Amino acid sequence: MHPFDIKTVLLAKHAQHVVLIHFPIALFIIGVVFDFLAQWRKQLLLAAAAYYNLLVAAIATIPVVVTGILAWQWELEGEKLKGILLMHLVMGCVSSVLIWVVWFIHRRAPRKHEEVLPGYRLPIEAVAVVVVALTGHLGGFLSGVNGPG
Amino acid sequence: MWMAGMAATAIVALGLLLAGSRMVAANTPQPASTEVKIDNFSFGPVTLTVPAGATVTWINRDDMPHTVVSTDDSKTFKSKVLDTDEKFSFTFSKAGTYPYFCSIHPKMTGKVIVQ
Repeated sequence: MHPFDIKTVLLAKHAQHVVLIHFPIALFIIGVVFDFLAQWRKQLLLAAAAYYNLLVAAIATIPVVVTGILAWQWELEGEKLKGILLMHLVMGCVSSVLIWVVWFIHRRAPRKHEEVLPGYRLPIEAVAVVVVALTGHLGGFLSGVNGPG
Repeated sequence: MWMAGMAATAIVALGLLLAGSRMVAANTPQPASTEVKIDNFSFGPVTLTVPAGATVTWINRDDMPHTVVSTDDSKTFKSKVLDTDEKFSFTFSKAGTYPYFCSIHPKMTGKVIVQ
């Protein structure tokens, strides 16, 4: 199997999910880091960087959720999930919603005035980072990356 | 005297018959194990040889879910998701080679050879 074989890229039934998931995780976490730094240093440039990272992270959740559901349908034929797989599915959905909520909070605030960003977003972002990290950990465990294999 | 000779011949013939049948039984391939253990992201044994009609049981001793799915297009056998300590059995009625894998972890592969 060649790593650049187009069939491998397009037809590997759940490989895309495992690859794509890294984008929203990284973008969201760095977006939150930028937002906390922007809050602390009162820098609009950091706030703008945070906003765009959160935006792309939110968009990146769409293919991740789609490929995750397709993997469930194709590889497991939509079998009723339980245990770690069910936990991963639920936490993945919650993570995606939280990423979109965080971006929406930023979207609603005019970015020209740093003080208008609501303070309650910060604990939401912190919780979202924890949920995303736990979801990623479960995914890594399922794929064998975080496990003994 | 004649009766004693016949009895002795019969006993010898019976003995040879039993010994022969035992040798035939010894030459018939017996499966060392019809159980495949799933542990640490691998099937053990990776290759299992069984006679036709044997039932193979896979048991998941790993901490995470796995599946057992035959590689052929018609999916000769396919388990549901097996959590820890769950089992899946399949009876192989026809001779042949049956490669399989875990659909959650495609690098996990194994093979059943039915003679």
